[in-house]
Amino acid sequence: MSLLALEDVGLRFGGLQALSGVGFSVAAGEVVAVIGPNGAGKTSLFNAITGYAGPVSGRIALNGARIDGLPPHVIAERGIRRTFQNGGLFGALTVMENVLAGMHADIGGSVLATILRLPGIDRRERAASRTALALLEQMQIAHMANRLARELSGGQQRIVEIVRAIATTPPLLLLDEPAVGLSPVARADLVAIIRRRAAEGTGVLLIEHAIELVMSVADRIVVLNGGRTIADGPPAEIRADRGVMEAYLGHG
Amino acid sequence: MLGQLLFSGLAQGALYALFALAMTAVFRATTVVNFGHGDLLMAGAFVVYVLVVLLHVNFALSAVIAVGVLFAAGVAIERWFIRPILGGPHLSLAMMAIAVGYFIRGGATLEWGRDILPFPHVYPDRVFMLGPVIATSSDLVVSGSVAALLLALTALFVFTPLGKTAQAVFQSQKGAALVGINVGAFQGGVWGLGAAMAAIGGILIAPVTLLYPDMAAFSLLRGFAAMTLGGFGSFPGAVIGALFLGVAELMVGFYLGSEYVEITPYVVILLVLMIRPSGLFGARARVRV
Amino acid sequence: MSDGGWRADRRLLFAVPLAACALPLVANQYQLYVANLILVYALVALGFNVLIGNLGQLAFASNTFFGLGAYATGILMAHLGVPFPLAALAGGVVSAASGVLVSLPALRGVRAFYLAIMTLAFGELMRWIYVHAPALTEGSTGLPVPLPFIAGIALRTDGAKFYVFLALATLLVLATSGLLRSRIGRAFVAIRENELAAAGMGIPTSRMIVLAFAWSGFVVGLGGALYAALVRRVSPDAFDLVELMLHFAIVVVGGLGSIAGSLLGAVVLTTSPELMRDLPGFETILLAVLMIVVLLALPRGLVSLAERVLPSLRQRFSRDPA
Repeated sequence: MSLLALEDVGLRFGGLQALSGVGFSVAAGEVVAVIGPNGAGKTSLFNAITGYAGPVSGRIALNGARIDGLPPHVIAERGIRRTFQNGGLFGALTVMENVLAGMHADIGGSVLATILRLPGIDRRERAASRTALALLEQMQIAHMANRLARELSGGQQRIVEIVRAIATTPPLLLLDEPAVGLSPVARADLVAIIRRRAAEGTGVLLIEHAIELVMSVADRIVVLNGGRTIADGPPAEIRADRGVMEAYLGHG
Repeated sequence: MLGQLLFSGLAQGALYALFALAMTAVFRATTVVNFGHGDLLMAGAFVVYVLVVLLHVNFALSAVIAVGVLFAAGVAIERWFIRPILGGPHLSLAMMAIAVGYFIRGGATLEWGRDILPFPHVYPDRVFMLGPVIATSSDLVVSGSVAALLLALTALFVFTPLGKTAQAVFQSQKGAALVGINVGAFQGGVWGLGAAMAAIGGILIAPVTLLYPDMAAFSLLRGFAAMTLGGFGSFPGAVIGALFLGVAELMVGFYLGSEYVEITPYVVILLVLMIRPSGLFGARARVRV
Repeated sequence: MSDGGWRADRRLLFAVPLAACALPLVANQYQLYVANLILVYALVALGFNVLIGNLGQLAFASNTFFGLGAYATGILMAHLGVPFPLAALAGGVVSAASGVLVSLPALRGVRAFYLAIMTLAFGELMRWIYVHAPALTEGSTGLPVPLPFIAGIALRTDGAKFYVFLALATLLVLATSGLLRSRIGRAFVAIRENELAAAGMGIPTSRMIVLAFAWSGFVVGLGGALYAALVRRVSPDAFDLVELMLHFAIVVVGGLGSIAGSLLGAVVLTTSPELMRDLPGFETILLAVLMIVVLLALPRGLVSLAERVLPSLRQRFSRDPA
């Protein structure tokens, strides 16, 4: 049973058919890249999976259990985290607080216990802080931990978003153009983190335009155009597929 | 009896429609819900009062001046208080609109305290028989004026170049800007128009409700009830919601008692938002949860 | 990284109330009355700010919560002889329950100005009920509130009330601080900044919104309970939309989203109703002008000026890692 399975998924909004007949799967530990020209429906695909857009026709399942039609926060609780193309950070919170916000469910606790700052909650907050700080250090951004997120540069914000998404070690990670605005060093860190997480069993679905990055990290590539899947296979196969490259490069 | 309630209710609703349409226009053009709109209505009526009663100006002229003054006020408010903070959080915009409204209300309260002032009667208080139904001169003047105004505005909207501009901005502000429409100036104009319509509403309603600073809340809540019922942002919805509200108020007054008329709009709002938040014709009002 | 920042705040948090305990020894009855009024409005601002400042939800709710807290407390004391501490707690709970009720549509996805209009309608409905249920509320003339007792001691003087009010206010400031520094406080701000992303982190946003309403209702309701004990008469006019303007002004001028801002706003603006009692309308104008000036020129409120002097005032939401 695959981690994520899409069957004949369709999405309509704003009078447009954003997705139709989309079907593919992601296995635990597998890195699948989604590529395609602008407007092909890549972000719509993420929105459909995470419950942000709907109603969705067809079937989306996580570990065999259907998630299409569920509210976003329930889908997230089931084990999916994502990053956003344009600023998904909470600008008025610090970098540290952003990552901790991402660990909301892990910290847990009832309202009363939280206000009284009971020892159990205190312990979990500290543990979460330690995990967060370690990850921020790995991505070489720990020195910004107490800065407000909106004060960071675009590339730095992207890194924090990634840290926030991986902090709870979700089984499935959706990364929407994570490499945009990243320096070569940061890109290398990103690739390392993706590879490490995949090796530990996380499934990764990745939208990315940077072809070299895709080729270097993806186990499989799914090509989207006009809301439909037009190819699905290992990088070598996709690279050799002339039809795909024309459709993709033709529209830039 | 039912016919009478229906007729009087529709006449009452016509007034609410005017107010609801003004707020809907401002909302569609600038995405701001002007919580201070009621105070503009009150200001319009007070300007006429000052001109007619204190300065002995002819009524018709006073009305025209009041509408003009309020139009200018609307444009000024948008230009100096709304536009500077348009990029910021929505809460601040709402607070600004509220603060400006309270400023106007404070001014009126300062001048006239909590007195309730009688509004000059322009037309004689007569009663007409239209078949089985009794119509007061107020019913006829109000409905007639509102209907005429709405017809004029609809014609303006549909047939003139200005109207085409309005349609574009209502559809998409960004899109309109892209085709070269001066969205800022247009928005100022809409605020001005909204304020002018509020002034007309105030002048029409004041003979019936009398004049007092808290008229603002009165009209604001009925306008909201109409817009909530009809569906926020929908012009036909605002009209239909308003007419329905007018009839509902009359019915409630007759069958349940006059003290319940006051809370009819509140109950309408609460029920609609609990049961079907998008109202009759409104866009989707709920986020995915 | 040390936890020094929070410890410094904590010292301030206890030093101020401790110092304030000396006030009844040096101030006259009227000054103490004003001090009590400031404490009442501090609670109102403290509670309301969480809703409109931290969560960022526009709501015409604080006058409603204030009134419900006051009426519930007054009715329980006057009609059922319930002792003040219990009545006040009940006032807070009733008010919190009303917060839950009015925000129920949020569970189905209703947001923004729809929710705001819901609070407006609910508030005006409540005011009508106060007037039209004279058996409970004495209608427009107002409900007289009996002398409050705590543990057998009568709170006859403003000095006596001051100590009680101060203790409660300090407690609630601590509680609010705890709330805002916790994952719940972070969630409120996250929802305000980007609700969709917050949901994507597993934060149950609708439930959080209802929680914010409930919390706000509780704290503002307690303020209402204290108000009832302070002025000893609860009438509908005290909770109208003009009163709401004062609440808006206190929070916006003091500083949206900031505990220090709430307190600062309460201290600075509470005196205005007292000073301008004889000039109705003037107070409204002044508050409106202050709000407009702040919104245009100093959006983060007076507290942003204070922060330049005392940097540790910046509200912290989470602990520094140990």
